[in-house]
Order: sequence, then structure tokens, then C-alpha cells
Amino acid sequence: MSYIVPIGPYHPALEEPVHARLFTEGEVIKDAEVFVGYNHRGIEKLATERNAIQTLVLVERVCGICSHSHAFTYAMCVEAINGTEVPKRGQYIRVITAELERLHSHFLWLGIACHIIGHDSMFMHIWDERELVMDILEKMTGNRVNYAMVTIGGARRDIDDDLRREILDACDKLKAPLDRITEIALTDKTIAMRTKGVGVLPTADAIRLGAVGPHARASGVDIDVRRDAPYSCYDEFEFNVPVVDSCDVFARVVVRALECYESIKIIRQALENLPEGPINLGTKLPKIKEGQAVCRHEAPRGQLSHMVVGDGGLTNHRVSVHVPSFKNTPTVPFMLRGNTVADAGLIIASIDPCFSCLDR
Amino acid sequence: MQEYKRIDISKDQIVPIAERMRKKNVYLVMIHAFINKEGLPDISWDYAVDPAIESYHVVGETCVPSIGGIYDAAAIWPERELNELFGIEFEGLDTTQRLFLPEDLLETQGRGQIMVTPLSELVEKNRKEAGQ
Repeated sequence: MSYIVPIGPYHPALEEPVHARLFTEGEVIKDAEVFVGYNHRGIEKLATERNAIQTLVLVERVCGICSHSHAFTYAMCVEAINGTEVPKRGQYIRVITAELERLHSHFLWLGIACHIIGHDSMFMHIWDERELVMDILEKMTGNRVNYAMVTIGGARRDIDDDLRREILDACDKLKAPLDRITEIALTDKTIAMRTKGVGVLPTADAIRLGAVGPHARASGVDIDVRRDAPYSCYDEFEFNVPVVDSCDVFARVVVRALECYESIKIIRQALENLPEGPINLGTKLPKIKEGQAVCRHEAPRGQLSHMVVGDGGLTNHRVSVHVPSFKNTPTVPFMLRGNTVADAGLIIASIDPCFSCLDR
Repeated sequence: MQEYKRIDISKDQIVPIAERMRKKNVYLVMIHAFINKEGLPDISWDYAVDPAIESYHVVGETCVPSIGGIYDAAAIWPERELNELFGIEFEGLDTTQRLFLPEDLLETQGRGQIMVTPLSELVEKNRKEAGQ
């Protein structure tokens, strides 16, 4: 029997609104369609009415999980147009915040994936450990999300010696739980049965469809903006880019778990070598010179790009934001084909989608 | 700092460039558009020729060829977005389904830019109405 199974746009299994139509033969998904646009907030339009500092606040609200990534990328665009050189200490603080954000985002996803699988004790365990990262972020920035750590020309808040030691201690404390979480993720029978061979996206399809971030790396695509097109001070740190080629949901779990180790490595290097000096260039409201820039940042979910066009005034002529989910969501119908309806929720979630981000 | 190279091209060059880039496995970062100061659409195809971005611009055209056949969904979604939000036609692009806009809006108004009152005008209007 053929059925069309609708999921969403508002559904108990979805954290954010998206609509998927599954075309099934019995339990097997033969084809699928995904529809977005339920969360469009007109952020790009609003940005044309705001100055650069106001836009930083605005673009942070594109996403609650990767808010720093948006402010970071927007600031890079304005700095590229204006030819602004960001002080080294400011660059380091931006990178530390970005990597802490990646840690909490990956912990969050790993927890949610376990919850969807039905492994709720693991979900609670991972989220419990995530709190350590959230506490550090709160101490550093005053907030659990929307950190407001970026200003045009640097960082807004400094990291003093006490805080530096505290973050280093937190990195040490994270090591044991992360080892435990990774070991369970790699060896647990329940996780393996629900994720191995499920939602496969072959390498060629990942490249063809333009997948990004951990999602692409779990399909054997060796890409990472931090390494391939270094920005800020990423070229000063040593880190590996985990790539797994089993192309299934299990690979996405593995890649994200391994990336947590690399983020800790970067944070540690940045804190141990934190340069002296100013963190920004002052608080003067900058004009955005006439020109255009496109900048990319490796956000937790993958490559995030902002385009800014300036006309020499205080406000933006145009801001365009394209998030990793915009690139990864079109791969979902391909991954769903041949899988069962019961796995649809997990497969959609496996790209770590953020539909609010996508809709802007 | 990531380098950004602007290269102006004619619309005939869009497809050959996309084919060349695809052959070299160059990643399509995004297709962007904005209305420039002269009121003309400025469409750009941004490719990640790491570590730089090569940005190929076509200015003043409202109908350009689709590269969906070359870059698949990586190009189709950005093209559909620009079709809905800027009214730019992509020859060969299937626009029978919505991406961002509500379905009824597509049916009743057709594709194209939705006119939104700029915030400054709205503030001014409200001020006048309030007699301030």
C-alpha cells in the first residue's frame, strides 16, 4: 500500500517547525519532500535598517545555539570591507568562544540523538556534562546563549587570569566524561542498531548536494573552513579534522564526538598562548565603507556564510545570511529513501538541523 | 583574512564557469543578490577557491540560466530563494513549489519581491498619525 505520511510543520517530535512529506510503500520510504519557511523573521531586511553594532545584536538572534558564529561572521564581513585589523587578543577570545559554542552544540546534538534513539539515560548524562560548558560560557559572557562577545574590531569582554585558569580546568574536567560518552557512543549496542546503515548519504551525493560541516565529514568529505580557508587566528592552532566514511547516522555521531576533542585542543592552545594587548579598537560606531564581502565561518553545524554590502553609511545596504542547515536540508530526502518511517525523525535530526536559522 | 575576489561576467559565462568549477570539485558557497545603488539587480555566484572566494557577478539581468543541472540542490535552493525574494528568473528552474513564501501568496501575487515598508518610513508615518 502507498501512503503519503506528513510530518509537521508542528509535530511533537520536532523542536522547530518544518514540514516533510514521506511517500511510502508500507513501512519503507520511497521518496520525500522537505518544506521550510515557517520561521521566516525577515532578519536580512531588518539588518538594512540597522547600524553595524545593532546588526551584531540582530544577527545573534538568528540562532540560539550558534549565536556567536553569526556575530563573528558578520563582524568579519564589516572588517573586511573596512580593512580593519582586529587585535590578536580579540581574535583569540572570538575563537575560544566559537569553540566553546561548538562544544555545547555538539553535546546538545549528541544528547538529542540519544533521546530520539530512546537511550534517555545517555541523553541525560550528556546534557549533564554539557552544563560544565554552559557554566563556563555564562561566566565568560554573562549569558548561556547570545553571548554578545563580538564587536566590530574585536571582542567585547576580556578573559582575565582567573577565568583563563578556570576554563583550562573545565577542559581537564571534560576529558573523562567525553571519553566515557565517546566510548558508549562507539560501543553501545542500542546506538549501533539504530544508527548503523541508517540514513546513508554517499560521498559523491554529499559533494553533489553541497553538504557541509560534520554532516559532510561523516560522508567522507574532507572539508573544514577553519583549515581550508583560515580566518581570524585559526592558522595558529594545531587541530585535526575528523572524517568518517561510513556515511550513515552512526558516522555523524562519531564525527561530532571526535570534534569535541579537537575543540578542547584549540581552546587549550588559545588560552595557553593568549596574547597580551587590547581586545578591541574602541567603542566608536563604525561606518560601513562602500564595498562588498562574503565571509565564511565553520559554525558547529558547518559552513556559515554572510554577505554584507556597504554604501559608505552607518547602515547595511544588504546583509545575506546562509546557514549550514540551508546546505544540509536538501540532502534529507536523499537520506530518507529506502529507510523505514520509524527512522525518519532520527534521519532528519542527524543533520543537526536548525530551521529557525535556515528561515532567518 | 579570507580573500574576496569580485569578477564581473556576462550572463553567457554563468554556465561554462559553473561547469568548470564543478569539474574541479569547487564548492559553490552561495548565489547572492542585491539591488545596487542604480536600482539594478547584482547577482553573484560565489565559489570557494580556497582560501579565496571567487565571486562572479552579473549586473542588470533579471533572467539568467539556472546551474541546477550542474550543482543540483546546492544551486537549486539558492535559486529558488532568489526567485521568490527578488523575482529573478532562472531559466530551467522548477518553481512550481514554494521555498520560503506561503503557497497562497505565490498563487495570488505571483513571484517577486514583497514590498515591505522600511522601518524609517513606518516610524515617520506613525509619528504623523499620532500628530507628533
